[in-house]
Amino acid sequence: MTTPALELVDVTKIFQKDKEKVKAVDSVSLSVSKGEMVIFLGPSGCGKTTTLRMIAGFELPTSGRITIDGAEMTNVPVNKRGIGFVFQNYALFPHMSVFNNVAYGLRSRGESDSIIQGKVKDALALVGLANAGNRYPNQLSGGEQQRVALARVLVMEPKLLLMDEPLSNLDAKLRIYMRTEIRRIQKKLGITCLYVTHDQAEALTMADRIMVMNKGRVEQVGAPYDLYSQPQSLFVADFIGQANILKVPVTGIHGETVQAAMPGGWVLSARATIPERIEPGKNASLVIRPENVLVVSKAQKEGHLPARVMSAIFMGSHIEYHLDLGNMGSLIAFSSFKPGMHIFNEDDEVSVVLDSAVSMFLPA
Amino acid sequence: MPSNITIEQPPAMNSSKAQRASLIRKDPALFSALIAIWLSLAIFIFLPLVRLLAATFIVNGTLSFANLSKILSKAYNVRAFYNSLILAMAVSAAGTLIGYLFALAITRTNWPKPLKWLLSAITILPLISPPFTSSISLTLALGPNGMLLKALGLGQLNFYGFWGTWISETLTYFPVAFMVLTAILTTMDANLDDAALSLGASRWRMFGTVTVPLSMPGIANAILLLFGSSLADFATPLILGGHTFPVLPTQAYLQITGLYDLKGGSGLSFLLLVPALLVYLFQRSLVGKRSYVTITGKTGARSQFSHLPHALEIAVGAVSIFISAFILYLYFIILWGSFVKIWSVNNTFTLDHFIYVFSHGRKAITDTLKIAVVSTVVGSLLAVVIGYVIQRKKFAGRRVLEFSSMLNYALPGTVVGIAYILAFNEKPILLTGTMTILVAAYVFRYYATGIRSVIASLQQVDPALEEASLSLGASSTRTFFNVTVPLIIPAVLAGMRYLFIHCMTAISATIFLVSVRWTLLTTRILESMTELQFSQASAFSIVLIVLVFIADALMLWLMRLSTRKFGTTQETLYDNTGA
Ligand SMILES: Nc1ncnc2c1ncn2[C@@H]1O[C@H](COP(=O)(O)OP(=O)(O)OP(=O)(O)O)[C@@H](O)[C@H]1O
Ligand SMILES: [Mg+2]
Repeated sequence: MTTPALELVDVTKIFQKDKEKVKAVDSVSLSVSKGEMVIFLGPSGCGKTTTLRMIAGFELPTSGRITIDGAEMTNVPVNKRGIGFVFQNYALFPHMSVFNNVAYGLRSRGESDSIIQGKVKDALALVGLANAGNRYPNQLSGGEQQRVALARVLVMEPKLLLMDEPLSNLDAKLRIYMRTEIRRIQKKLGITCLYVTHDQAEALTMADRIMVMNKGRVEQVGAPYDLYSQPQSLFVADFIGQANILKVPVTGIHGETVQAAMPGGWVLSARATIPERIEPGKNASLVIRPENVLVVSKAQKEGHLPARVMSAIFMGSHIEYHLDLGNMGSLIAFSSFKPGMHIFNEDDEVSVVLDSAVSMFLPA
Repeated sequence: MPSNITIEQPPAMNSSKAQRASLIRKDPALFSALIAIWLSLAIFIFLPLVRLLAATFIVNGTLSFANLSKILSKAYNVRAFYNSLILAMAVSAAGTLIGYLFALAITRTNWPKPLKWLLSAITILPLISPPFTSSISLTLALGPNGMLLKALGLGQLNFYGFWGTWISETLTYFPVAFMVLTAILTTMDANLDDAALSLGASRWRMFGTVTVPLSMPGIANAILLLFGSSLADFATPLILGGHTFPVLPTQAYLQITGLYDLKGGSGLSFLLLVPALLVYLFQRSLVGKRSYVTITGKTGARSQFSHLPHALEIAVGAVSIFISAFILYLYFIILWGSFVKIWSVNNTFTLDHFIYVFSHGRKAITDTLKIAVVSTVVGSLLAVVIGYVIQRKKFAGRRVLEFSSMLNYALPGTVVGIAYILAFNEKPILLTGTMTILVAAYVFRYYATGIRSVIASLQQVDPALEEASLSLGASSTRTFFNVTVPLIIPAVLAGMRYLFIHCMTAISATIFLVSVRWTLLTTRILESMTELQFSQASAFSIVLIVLVFIADALMLWLMRLSTRKFGTTQETLYDNTGA
């Protein structure tokens, strides 16, 4: 087995805020292999930045261990860790030219001038700014500043590339372009990268694996596809993509399959990700994505749930229905749009068909 | 904190008679306000200055350099000129260095909060004390029979002259540098330090290549402010300079009060005026320029541990704690001195000096308070009007008005004082011996901070608020009093605070203007010092400091209250200390 590029073991950070203690990061453990891109995703204040800053060495963990390439790093100062950090506001040195910004780390390391010349040129070319060396940060656009910040750390060939919401100060178009750009460079260099964002589209498109955090704790770590199809908690189900959550009474459990009683007297069977935490006779949460909900004309049949259309919104590629299921609550359904198809109107009585093959049960 | 006020609007059109006529019709209130402002500036700023220039350059009715060359032919005067510059350089260098170390202690260490609070609180002391407080206590500590000399077992130490003046002025003015530099260090993006370290830089390299270069605008500003303050300082060299170390302000003073030589005094003040004005203009243009420190977007948290190189942090600690302790010691000495019978001869406890202060000195106390209160009220009203007109109205000569209204502030107090005697000693405007001349001297010097803070706060008030009021049918006068004034009250109070402190403590201009009818606490302190009544001087100082403290606390409280109600303000506005 190869040593992981980064390992966090039970890392915890408690801030002393006035008289009050804030547990910003709560026993986070994570192992990252070489060349992997792991994205920290979670709502504001969940501890993503703090975790990243502990890996960088800007903060010391209250407890727990951090190793990089197998070497203990917990108490090593920032400038000895061999990491590269891209800041949200880029933190370019305003009094230095682009060239000198990128050369800064190499000079700290005491490289010779000829090596610096070559490496800086390569790094600027890599980010597509070969001709900007003489300009100053305030003469660059936001996107260009972002590239300089990237070149400045890449030139150091760091063992770990750490990025804290690097795209959040860019406009929407540029953000989408820079996503693929960063991913391209990261893959090309085979560099291990940890990336913080609260934009799930960014996370889903860029990550090898995503670590979903909530209130300082890790909710789930996995490939984007796994998180979407196999969420381990309601939080993840709801946070990644859109999810309908229906509370239903459990009637039986057979291995991974859970059965629940539905209004109308029929039984719905679907997979459970953690069946051991579901109990018969109690409620469980049925999770189903809007695109897996079918809206059809009203009929009293097995597999059909009666519903009333609260609103129907035309979204171009699909129609978004908001449906009232009476006692069971409400649902959102996406029906992909085909010209000529029947579109239900507000207050229409309809039936809802849940695709049980792609639905799943989670503990209530 | 420096208030960076540059008004980025094209200068108003050249005015023609037609335009002026239309101004009367379009905005009669502005027209009459402008007339009143220019008239008062003409009397209290231009007239004295013209009289000073005339006294310097007109000999027997013709333009001549005879007077100036006569002054410059005396080696003693040339030495004073030279000494003034050397002293100003030494004070600005030492004061900026100490101020920077203090600022680093506050902004770049993770020392306990109470310690930081204490350090900043101690730096306020010299700012709100009369400018010669440290001279008095240094005399008591290091002068003949000095307390510290005895304690250290040193015999006599002749500290009068350059050294004493230098130490005292550095202690008095370093807090100005501290404030300017704290401001710049706090606004500097914390991520820049982090970025340098994460790129493998050592702490020293980070400090040398990022922190210091980015502090440069603040350092330059602090150096110029301190240079100007030291150049203008009059009380300190008068007490500590002695005969061996003449400087221009004291020379000018002695020329006039000792020799009744108005022409000589004018010439010397002209020599002082030139470098002071140059430094002032240079400083203003520097502050007007945009500095590097611009913050884009959301900045990250600052790391919780210190980034200073260890050796530097130790130096910062040693210097800031030693100097703070020394300042406290100096204040303690004054307190002690005010309660003993005869300084260093008979150390029995007595209240005699305070009894003297409250009986024989009562007139000085009440006069000082009366003058300070009147000056503060008049000065801040004037500051609101001038600041408002400059920031919100368009008219010909706006920038000229901005510059000339603050001209007296740029000039050393000695220059202003001498110019005022020249201007108001005879008809048609005979004001010597009146309260008016003292109030005018204070108002037209120290309202400058008020004007600046009014302009700065108006820049943050959206003109749409005033437009909304006008569109709802309110007159422009009503809008001004009901909408604008409440929004800038915190700024006005900040200006008043500064004005009041200076009216209580400044001396360099008014020393020429006091009379039997109107006297000041500061002049009484100086008299006691020259009569070697050290304990009496201490008692007067203590009373003055306590009065200023009470008034300052009151003002601060009002400011907090109004800030809570109305929003933002700048609390610290000491960007220059006129002595
Ligand atoms: N220096 C600090 N002192 C005290 N509390 C802090 C400090 N830094 C962060 N916190 C607290 O720790 C918690 C986690 O903060 P963190 O910045 O890691 O969140 P985040 O996930 O990065 O959020 P965002 O998406 O808003 O950037 C928050 O409650 C925050 O208030
Ligand atoms: Mg964050």
